[in-house]
Amino acid sequence: MEKLKDALDFSDFSRAEQIGLIIFSIFLLVFPWLGSGSFVKAVMIQFLLFSLFGMGWNTIGGYGGQVELGKAQYVGIGAYTVALLMVWLNIPFWISMPIGVLIAVGYSFIIGYPLFRLKGHYFAIATICTSLVLQDIFTNWKLVGAAKGIELPIHEHPDFLYMQFKSDNYYYYFIMVLFYCTLFYMNWFRKSKLGYQLRMIKDDEEAAESLGIDIRWCKIKTYSIASAFVAVGGGFMAVYNLYIDPASVMDLDLSIKIALMAMLGGAGSLWGPIIGAAFLVPLDRFLGSWLGGHKGLIGVDFMIYAALIMVVSAYQPRGIWGIIEQFRGKGK
Amino acid sequence: MEILIDALLQGILMGLLFALVALGLNVIFGVMDIVNFAHGEFLMLGMYTAYFTSLLIGVDPLFALPVSALTGVLLGLASYYWFIKYLLRGPAIAQLFGTFGLMLFLRYLAQFLFGIDYRILQKGVLIGKSFSVGPFIFDATKLAAGVLSLIAFAVVYYFLNKTKVGKALQATSLNKEAASYMGIKTDKMNALAWAIGGGTVGVAGGLLINFYYVYPTVGLLFVMIAFACVALGGFGSIKGVFFAGLLVGILEMVFPVFGQLIGSDFLGPHFKFTIVYLAYFIIVVFRPQGLFGWKN
Repeated sequence: MEKLKDALDFSDFSRAEQIGLIIFSIFLLVFPWLGSGSFVKAVMIQFLLFSLFGMGWNTIGGYGGQVELGKAQYVGIGAYTVALLMVWLNIPFWISMPIGVLIAVGYSFIIGYPLFRLKGHYFAIATICTSLVLQDIFTNWKLVGAAKGIELPIHEHPDFLYMQFKSDNYYYYFIMVLFYCTLFYMNWFRKSKLGYQLRMIKDDEEAAESLGIDIRWCKIKTYSIASAFVAVGGGFMAVYNLYIDPASVMDLDLSIKIALMAMLGGAGSLWGPIIGAAFLVPLDRFLGSWLGGHKGLIGVDFMIYAALIMVVSAYQPRGIWGIIEQFRGKGK
Repeated sequence: MEILIDALLQGILMGLLFALVALGLNVIFGVMDIVNFAHGEFLMLGMYTAYFTSLLIGVDPLFALPVSALTGVLLGLASYYWFIKYLLRGPAIAQLFGTFGLMLFLRYLAQFLFGIDYRILQKGVLIGKSFSVGPFIFDATKLAAGVLSLIAFAVVYYFLNKTKVGKALQATSLNKEAASYMGIKTDKMNALAWAIGGGTVGVAGGLLINFYYVYPTVGLLFVMIAFACVALGGFGSIKGVFFAGLLVGILEMVFPVFGQLIGSDFLGPHFKFTIVYLAYFIIVVFRPQGLFGWKN
C-alpha cells in the first residue's frame, strides 16, 4: 500500500512538471476521440510503446549508468512467446503474456549474472553479443519460423482473450494502461531504496560497495524487472502487428532505437524516455513515410538520427531534459 | 582430415586480416580508452574507396590500396578532430554513444550515397585466380590479403616499438599523465592513434574488397569480430591482438567444417559468427584481461 502511494505521488516535481503531466494525461485519454486518422493513431501507439521500452532501458541504462544495447532480446522473447503459444496451442494472450514475462525474467537472470561482472564498454558490447546470438538462433531455427517469422491466426470476430479488435482504439487504450503502469513503477523506482542504491553505484561504485551495497545483485534485480516491462511490450507488439520475425522484434536496430530515445530525451530522468520517444517516433514515422516516396533518400532518416546522437553526446549528454533543466537554471 | 587442414589454412589467412582490422581498434582503445564502434564503418568506407577507385579509374584493386589507406587516415583524423575531441569532455556513457552515433551516421551516409546493393569487383589481377599446393587450393586474393595484412601489421608493430613517436604513443597508453609530464602531447598522440586506426583498417578494407561483397552494413560483422579479437588478445595489447585474430579466423573457418563432419545442423555455417559472439562473451566474463592483456 505504501509502495502504491509512492508510485502515485508526483509531489516532489515542480508545479510546471505536474501541470504538464496532467495536460499530457488528459490529451492521452481523449486522443482517440479527436478524430485523427489511422496513421496518426498508429504513430501514437508506437510512441506509447517506445516510451515503455525507453523507460525499461532507463532503469539500468539511465539511473544505473550501464549502457545496455540488448533490449530487443526481451522484446523478442515477449513477442515470440505470445505468438508461438497462440499458434501452437491456441493459448490466449492473457495467459501467454505472463508466461513470456516469466521467461524474459528468467533469461535476464541467466545472462545478467555473467553480464554484470562487466562494466562500461565491455558490458555494452557483451549485451550486443547476447542479443545477436539470440537473433542468430531465431533466424535459423525452423521450428519457430526461422527468418520468415510467424503469422498470428486472425479471428473472424473481435476477441478480447486473443486481443483481436476491429478498432485501433482498443489497442491504444491497452498500451496506454501499460504505459501508465510503467510510469508509476518508474516513479516508485526512482524513490525506492533500489533506485538510490543504483544511482550511488553510477556515481561511485567503490563507495557504494564500501557502504555494503551488493552491486551485482542490485544491477541484476533492476535489469530483470525492467526486462519484464519490455517483454510485456513485446507481447503487445505480436498481437498488434499480427506478424513477427527476428528482424522486426530482435534486431540490433531496435535496441539502438530504444537506447537512443532514452538517451536523447534524457537518461536518468523520469520524463526523458517519454520526451525522447515523443520526439523520435513521429520523426521516424513521418520521415519514413515521406522519404519512402523518394527512392534515392533511403537511410536519410537514420542519418538525421545519428547526427542527433552525435550532437547530443558531444554537447549535452543529459539530452533534451538536460537542456530544459539548464534553461531553468537547475542544471550544472 | 584434409578438409580440416584446408579450413585451418583458410582460417589463418582470414585471421591475418582480422588481426589487421582489430589492430586499429586496439591502438585507439589503448591510447584513449575509447571503444570505436565506427571502426567497422571505417572498414566499409575503405572497401568502397577501393571499389570505386578501381572501377572508375580502371586500376587494379591492389593499386587502390594506398588510396584506401589514405582515406582511412583522413577519416580517422577527421573523426578525431571534428568529433571525438568533443566527446572527451563528457562522461564515459556519452563517449560510447558518440562513437555509436558516428557508426550509424557513416553507415547510413554510405547507404544514401551508394545504395543498399551488394557490390563486388569482377576484374582484377588476382580475382578469380587460384593455385594449388599439394591437395590444397588457395584463392590468390585471399593469399594476397593474408600476406599483405601480415606485412601491414609488421610495419605498424615496428613503428610502435622501434621509432620514437611509436614509443611515445605506447607511453601515452601506459600512463597518460606521466607521458604528458615527459613532454608528450596527449592530443597529438590521440590524433596519431586515430590516424593509425583509420589507416590500418583502410588497408584491410582495400584487401577485403578483392574477395568480399561490400554493402553499407558490412561493418557490423567485422567490428564484432574485431571486438572479439581485442577481447581475446587483451584490450590494449598489440601482440595479443595478432594471435587473437589468427585464433578467431581459425575458429570461424574450422567450426562449420567440424559441424559438417559430425553432421549437426546447429553447428552449420549459419552459426559461424554466433560462435565469435559467444567467444567474446565468454572471454570477457571469465578472463577480462584477455590472453596477453594488461589493461583492466
